[in-house]
Amino acid sequence: MSVMAFSPKKIKKAKLWLISALLLVVLAAVAYTFLYLKHDAAMTDVGNRLASPSWEHPMGTDHLGRDVMTRLLLGFRLTVGYSMIALLAAVIIGVPFGLLAGLRGGWVDRLFMRIADGFLAFPDTVIAIVLSGLLGPGIGNLLFAIVLVKWVNYARMVRSTVLTEVQKDYITIAKINGLSTFTIMRKHLMPHIIGNVLVLASLDFGKIILLISSLSYIGLGAQPPTPEWGAMLNESRPYFQANPEMMIYPGLAIVVVVLVANILGDYLRDKFDVKKEVQP
Amino acid sequence: MILSINDLTVSHGEKTIVDQVSLTIDKGEWFALVGQSGSGKTMLSQAIGQLLGPNLRASGSVSYQGSNILEHPKTEMNQLRGKAISYIFQDYHGSFTPFLTIQQHMDEYLQTHGVKEKKKRKNMIKEAFESVGLDASLVRRYPFQLSGGQLQRVSIALALLLEPDILIADEATTALDSVSAHRILSLLQELQLKTGCAILFITHDWRHVARYANKIAVMKDGKIIESGSKQKLIHQPEHVYTKQLIQAAPTLPMRIKEASKS
Repeated sequence: MSVMAFSPKKIKKAKLWLISALLLVVLAAVAYTFLYLKHDAAMTDVGNRLASPSWEHPMGTDHLGRDVMTRLLLGFRLTVGYSMIALLAAVIIGVPFGLLAGLRGGWVDRLFMRIADGFLAFPDTVIAIVLSGLLGPGIGNLLFAIVLVKWVNYARMVRSTVLTEVQKDYITIAKINGLSTFTIMRKHLMPHIIGNVLVLASLDFGKIILLISSLSYIGLGAQPPTPEWGAMLNESRPYFQANPEMMIYPGLAIVVVVLVANILGDYLRDKFDVKKEVQP
Repeated sequence: MILSINDLTVSHGEKTIVDQVSLTIDKGEWFALVGQSGSGKTMLSQAIGQLLGPNLRASGSVSYQGSNILEHPKTEMNQLRGKAISYIFQDYHGSFTPFLTIQQHMDEYLQTHGVKEKKKRKNMIKEAFESVGLDASLVRRYPFQLSGGQLQRVSIALALLLEPDILIADEATTALDSVSAHRILSLLQELQLKTGCAILFITHDWRHVARYANKIAVMKDGKIIESGSKQKLIHQPEHVYTKQLIQAAPTLPMRIKEASKS
C-alpha cells in the first residue's frame, strides 16, 4: 500500500463538508441542550482551583475553580451567537444599501461607493481595533465595530450582482410590463442575491468568530468573567506554563469552529459558483 | 395617430445618439425602422418607454393620447407599460427570469395590471398561448426548457397579453434562423390584424421590411434620413444610403416583384 493512500487529496471534499456540518450540529446541540451544563459557569470554588480532569469536572477547573467544560460550552453559545448577531446585522444593513446603490445609480451609488472604498482601504481587523478602542472595550462596541466593517462587503456584492442582472433583458421586460421596482427586486432579483449572500456569510462566519475572539483576547471585546473563548484565553495566560490545558481548550475550540465554518463556506461557494469578487 | 415622436434627442454627455427624430405611427400600422447597428434605433425605442439608462438624457416629446409620456412620473408610466406599450427583444433567452415558470411571469403581469380573479388570469394565459400557436401545457415550463422559436412566441404572447396599442419589436427575429423568423413575423402580422395594435419594427434586415411593413423610416447616425410608405421607399429611394441598403439585401429582386404585386 502506497503512502499516497493517506494523502489529504484522497479525502473527498464532499465528505469533509458533511463531517463539518455534523460536528457543528452536535456542538450546537450539546451547547444548547444543557446536556453537560451541570455547573454554574460563574460559580467559583477556590478550594478546588486548577483541578485535574475528573468525573465531576471532565476538563478540570480553572484558576478560580470554575468548571472549564461548562465555560467552554457556554462560550460556544456566546462566540457563535455573537458572530451570528454581527453577521445578521451586517447582512440586514448591507443588502438594502447594495440594492439601493445598484438600482438607483447616480449620486446615491457614487456616494456609497466612496464610503465603501474608505472602509475597504484598511484591513478589517485594524478598523475593528480602532473603533472598539475609541468606543471603549465591551462586547457591544466590538459587535458594532464588526458590523460597521462587514456590511460594506455585502453591500458591494449585492450592488455588483444587481448591476450585472439589471442589464439583462428580463429585468427590462419586467419593467416594461409595468412591475414596480419593489416587485422586480423581490421576485426577480432576490433569488440571485440570496445565494451569493449565503456563501459570503458562511465564509465570513469563521472570520468574525476569529475577530471577536482575538479582540476579546487583547481585552477589547468580551470582558472576564464572560466565558467567551477569546476572553478565556486571555484569563488563562498567566497559568500557561503550569496548566497549558486551560489555554489549549478554548484555543482548540476556536480552531475547530473556524475550520468547520470555512469548510462549509467553501463547500457552499463551490455549490453556488460565486466569483471571488469581494474577497480582498 | 397612436404615437407621435417630435424632435426626440437622446444624448450621453456631449455625444448625441439620437438626433432630433420625428415620426408618427398610426393605429394598426407596421412601421419599420431600418438602420445599421449603432445608428440609434434601440436608443430611440427605449426612450419611448422611459427605459434609458441613468447616463442618457432624452429631450423632445413622445405623445401618446395627447400627453408627453417622456414627462410621465414613474407610477403613471408603470400603468402605461405593458398595457399601452410593450416590447419584444432579440435575446429571447434573456427575456425571462430563469427561475420563474412562464405561467408565473404572465400571472404576475396580469396581477400587476389589475386582473384580480385567478380563474380569469388562467384563461387569459391559456388563450394567449393558443393565439401564438403553442400548446397550453407549456405554461408550466421554465424558460430554459423551451426552444428559441417557442420562447420568442411566448414573448409575443406576453407582450400582447394586455392588448397594447403599440408593440415595439427590437430586432425581434435577428437571433432566429430565417424560417423561424418568417414564421414569427407572419404570426405577428396575423395578431396585429386581430388586435389592431401598431408595431414599431426595428431591424437591419431589409428583407423583412419589404415583406411586412406599411411604412419605413431609415435611420443613420441618429437621424432619420428618409421615411415614407413602403412603395415609395422601395421603388423611389431618394437618399444614397437607402439605395445602398436596398442593394445590400440579398434577395431583393424577388421581393420587389412581390411588393409591387400587392
